[in-house]
Amino acid sequence: MEQKKVDKPKKVRTKRSLSTKLTPYAYTMPAIILFLVFTVYPMINMIRLSFYEWNGLTEEKFVGLQNYNYLFNLQVDFKIALQNTLVYTVSVVFFLLLFALIFAVWLQKDSKINAMVQRLMFFPHLCSMLAISTVFSWLMDEEGLFNAVLSFFDLPGLRWLNDSTTAMMSIVIIAVWKGMGYHALILLSSLKSIPTEIYEAAALDNTPPVRKFFRITIPLLSPQLFFMLINITLSSFKVFESIRVLTKGGPGKSTIVLVYYIYEYAQSNLKYGVAAAAGVVLLIFLAILTVIYFRLINRRVHYQ
Amino acid sequence: MGQIELKNIGKTFGQTTVLENLDLTIKDGEFAVLVGASGCGKTTLLRVIAGIGPATSGELYIDGEEVSDLEPGKRGIAMVFQNYAIYPNMTVKGNIEFGLKNNKVPKAERERLIAEVAESVGLTEYLKRKPNQLSGGQRQRVALARAMVKKPKVFLMDEPLSNLDAKLRVQMRSELIELHKKLKTTFVYVTHDQTEAMSMADTIILMNKGVIQQQASPEVIYNDPNNIFTAQFIGTPPMNILKMSNGCYLGYRPEKVVLTAEENEVEAVYKKKVQIITREMLGSETLYKVRYEGEKEEANTFMVKSVEDTFGEDEHVWLNVALENLYFFDKGEMRIRENDNAEDYAACVECLKGE
Repeated sequence: MEQKKVDKPKKVRTKRSLSTKLTPYAYTMPAIILFLVFTVYPMINMIRLSFYEWNGLTEEKFVGLQNYNYLFNLQVDFKIALQNTLVYTVSVVFFLLLFALIFAVWLQKDSKINAMVQRLMFFPHLCSMLAISTVFSWLMDEEGLFNAVLSFFDLPGLRWLNDSTTAMMSIVIIAVWKGMGYHALILLSSLKSIPTEIYEAAALDNTPPVRKFFRITIPLLSPQLFFMLINITLSSFKVFESIRVLTKGGPGKSTIVLVYYIYEYAQSNLKYGVAAAAGVVLLIFLAILTVIYFRLINRRVHYQ
Repeated sequence: MGQIELKNIGKTFGQTTVLENLDLTIKDGEFAVLVGASGCGKTTLLRVIAGIGPATSGELYIDGEEVSDLEPGKRGIAMVFQNYAIYPNMTVKGNIEFGLKNNKVPKAERERLIAEVAESVGLTEYLKRKPNQLSGGQRQRVALARAMVKKPKVFLMDEPLSNLDAKLRVQMRSELIELHKKLKTTFVYVTHDQTEAMSMADTIILMNKGVIQQQASPEVIYNDPNNIFTAQFIGTPPMNILKMSNGCYLGYRPEKVVLTAEENEVEAVYKKKVQIITREMLGSETLYKVRYEGEKEEANTFMVKSVEDTFGEDEHVWLNVALENLYFFDKGEMRIRENDNAEDYAACVECLKGE
């Protein structure tokens, strides 16, 4: 019986004219074309290019896996870039989530000041990274505001972006500062959507505040926290602007990250093949990360 | 064990006063139902008792001990919420266990209590499930189990059945009555549904605009209402009320009316010729809407409930009510009883004969 029911619409479908079948594709064609030209083609071309040697002018020369050999065995700077990217990503994810959570909890109470703070905190999200980087390059100057504040408290000044030990930390500070308000707002809105009865039930269950936070608030925020975790990780892996403006990968190689490495190899060293190979590695990393996240963490996340 | 005493309780939200100078005693082991229209303060009162919306003034005693300033979790109470408020991230077992863990109950004892409670509400095979895998009725049971496992002195319930479908509601209603019999603890149950109140309560506490209108058993509140509000709130359809020539009010219940074709078929103090406007045949009974003869079209209509289905629409019949089924209320809408105000009562009866 059920099979027949399923069959029926199929028959109707085959009778439909070709134009009816093509209509939906025609409607989505502009999007599909854009996607093919600007996403799929460059990706395929990048993968192809990673097996060639090319400086932009001469003939492309097939070299097999030599570019990858160059990345992983012949030079250390790719490994450093990889390491730096990892340090940057982990730090940004950790501190951004931590501060966003702290601010969201802090701003939970409805008051005029909190409403104002919320708006102010969102502001950095609207500014371009370029502008923010420029401002921070002044703030973090050795004669800048940050050091002035430090010296006011009789603390020794830092060399911030000019010291290989503090440069990465400085870049992380800027990223956290920029993203904090936006992520705090997301968390704030989901904090407010938690039914008050749940907290009242917890109060009746004699729940201590810390336990309430870790056993009820955090689990109920987990869908948003998970979403943010993916988003921040993926965007941190692709960090470029602030590095380009502030440190250009330096001092030394202390702030070279994956995308900056690709940029440098393509634009300055004119080794397109190596840059493409690095791009492929980045692509694989991001793909693996996404799959891992969705497979593993999704199971632990509570969705209402 | 679980007597609740409220003295001079007041509760304000900003500028709005919801409760003022409220006194109430709920006896130990009683099934008390707080009933009233939405916004009457019944839930506010429950939350005052629970401590999740503490009173702004007054004193609250549970079991003879003042708890006005105690945290909700330390008052020896448990509450079942309208939307259950079970922790969505925990399993059924986790939900039941959470309060016990907070109260540092040892593991072996916890396991024993959970098994016992789960058995009694029929959740044993669902202990490992998450709330989103449960039906509405099962979630209700989780909320109930979570409350029961704490062995509280007082159970507070805020419209716990309103999210269930009609059939399940009736079933849960009798289960709650049984539960109360078994546990013998004090229940305070909030509802806006007077049928629920009538069927479950030992004592009904009827509220209106933050004021207790009457606190009495279902029989008393139905047969002997204190005022017009109570008389009209309890009973379906509500009591018929009409103003008399001396400014007082006369009331009679739709189900106490006898309709007759001829004037002198039955003995009755109150007789009126009426016209039947509509008739609703409900099976076991028939509901008539009638208008007094000689009144204009837009005049008040009255309801009559009859077990017999003898008359049809537009028929002209006699409406008869015996004296013991007539209620009189003064100008302030308060009841005039023969026992405590014989003079006014007699005056009303006299006035009635003149009409």
